[in-house]
Amino acid sequence: MHYFDPPNLVALFVLNVVVISLRLGRVAAIWSALLSVASFDFFFIPPLLSFAMSDTQYLFSFALILVVAWVTSAVGSRLRADARIARAGERREAAVARVARDLSGAHNSAQIVAICRETIAPLFEAKVALILPDSTDSLLPPKDGEFADLSVAQWTYSHSQRAGLGTSILSAAKALYLPLKAPIRCRGVLAIQPQHQTSLDRPDDNRLLEACCSSIALALERIHFAGIAQETLVRIEGERMRNSLLSAVSHDLRTPLTAIRGLAETLEVTDLPQNERTEVASAIRHQAEDLQQLVTNLLDLARMQSAGVRLNKEWHPLDEIVGSALSRLGPALAKREVRTELPIDLPLLEVDASLFERVLINLLDNALKYTPPDAKILIRAKAVGPSMYCFVEDNGPGLPPGDPEQFFKPFVRGKKESAISGAGLGLALCRSIIGAHGGTIRAEAAQPAGTRFEIRVPLGSPPGIEKEDAA
Amino acid sequence: MNKPRILVVEDDADIRRFVRIALEKEGMIISEAETAEDARIDSACRRPELTIVDLGLPDGDGKAFIRELRTWSNIPVVVLSAREREEEKVEALDAGADDYLTKPFGIPELLARVRAQLRRAAFLNPDQPASPVIRFGNVRMDMATHEVTKGDEVVHLTPIEFRLLAALARGHGKVLTHRQLLLEVWGPGYVLRPHYLRVYMVNLRQKLEEDPTRPKHIITELQVGYRLAF
Repeated sequence: MHYFDPPNLVALFVLNVVVISLRLGRVAAIWSALLSVASFDFFFIPPLLSFAMSDTQYLFSFALILVVAWVTSAVGSRLRADARIARAGERREAAVARVARDLSGAHNSAQIVAICRETIAPLFEAKVALILPDSTDSLLPPKDGEFADLSVAQWTYSHSQRAGLGTSILSAAKALYLPLKAPIRCRGVLAIQPQHQTSLDRPDDNRLLEACCSSIALALERIHFAGIAQETLVRIEGERMRNSLLSAVSHDLRTPLTAIRGLAETLEVTDLPQNERTEVASAIRHQAEDLQQLVTNLLDLARMQSAGVRLNKEWHPLDEIVGSALSRLGPALAKREVRTELPIDLPLLEVDASLFERVLINLLDNALKYTPPDAKILIRAKAVGPSMYCFVEDNGPGLPPGDPEQFFKPFVRGKKESAISGAGLGLALCRSIIGAHGGTIRAEAAQPAGTRFEIRVPLGSPPGIEKEDAA
Repeated sequence: MNKPRILVVEDDADIRRFVRIALEKEGMIISEAETAEDARIDSACRRPELTIVDLGLPDGDGKAFIRELRTWSNIPVVVLSAREREEEKVEALDAGADDYLTKPFGIPELLARVRAQLRRAAFLNPDQPASPVIRFGNVRMDMATHEVTKGDEVVHLTPIEFRLLAALARGHGKVLTHRQLLLEVWGPGYVLRPHYLRVYMVNLRQKLEEDPTRPKHIITELQVGYRLAF
């Protein structure tokens, strides 16, 4: 005891109080100060082991310890509060950065909706719904935002002002509606309904929400303009396609028309013997038939390329469509050897029968036009795994040299300006029809000679048929 | 045999012209109408035995004319229609038409359809009592005993297959739409299941046709219906 004078002991107690008040806050600091004063008095101030005091100067030491405890605890708690705020700010900044990063990668509004649900909702511990307008500027009900009131949202959207919970407008609403203001215009409304009553009242929550809203608005606007740019590209491409179509078709249309007109005028004015008249008339008929084929392909191609083409898909047996195509080509095919190899147990196929028939007609028509009269034609099909394969083969001279893919582009023909009619539309049409059915079509050399066209279409799952009771 | 009277309802003069020339060469008597209104008057006072109707008429719908005609007459009606309009053909057939020709059509096709329909009309209003036996190709079907033979062999058909073949045979060359056949053979619950019909048709063709992919008798009118050719 003689080594420690009371002043040293006081310093020890002060140290203790300072440490506690920095660490544990004001209440603990006051208690530790009182406890220190009491134990100092009890153990070290004469008379020992009593709370009585012989020297009043110790009262001053007690007061000093209390003041130190008070001041240091105040400083400590402020430091702790600052640290907490700094940490929260950091977390928020990270959250905003994450939202902004996710949004910058979004390609469509569905992705933005998902980001709202997955990132923004947990951040505010709230239900969030993104409400977007349709083309006529009226808002569409969101998919998973049943809580959102569309009429409040519509007000927010048309006035570009927040409304609902915690605002002065329509404050009876259960959710807060924030306009998504982008540089050019308002792009939609964010509805947010907190799970705890007051959680959106804090000013920094509000700032965070504003930051999220402007990120979403920017992302929506970006997607909007990206969509417009895409449409413009498609339109330009379509325009170019139409122009090449027109120039190519005008040649192929004019040729048979010129022939028909000339032949008809021949019949009109000249005094031909009967057998020649018949020849001229049958030439007119042939030209008209070619013209018909061309016009049919052209109309089908235009139909396939017009926006929103609707396929009239039903379940058909392939042999019915093959049969119909063969009978439609009837007289032209009559002199040719055409074989079909269609297994009896071939599953039904979900296709637009008229269009699928058109594919077969075009392939058969090609085989007729580009092979010598003694070449054989074979139509066969098989189902392998999830696909049906249908082949149209001939043993003619085969494909002209070059990549077979080129013939599927409109207006490419094996031989330029060939005397054989047809605008090279046929295979392009086949490709766009098969493509619309989710399948593929390609050409390859057949073995040992000739050409083979392979059509692959997905099988899907055919509808069941109730078995008939055995007779 | 007296000459059959044919009414041609078509607004295009050139189409009327070649149809008239072709049919007159066959020894038929032709009257022409340009509009549905003319057609109504003509069909009532001249009592034709067959009518050819274009579906797109300037003063209204050919289908409406067919429906009206069907309230008092069962003469064969052949419809002229453009290719893309499968639904229109089906509607016209459901309204009471018997066959259709797709524009552009050729004269041989036209004559074949007209002759088939005239034969059919003669068959439906026979001079002698009807026989329960129907023949097409080398197939013979007895409606009374439900016996079907192909050449000398007996063909076993399931009850539905027989009902289907019988429905086609009763049509006697008339194009029957999917709806009409489903209704007659399976009943109203099956009208929206055309794949039933198609699967049974495949079976029928397997059993009765020489080459099922190039049928001579059980003819598919794609997206429209079926027809039995004799």
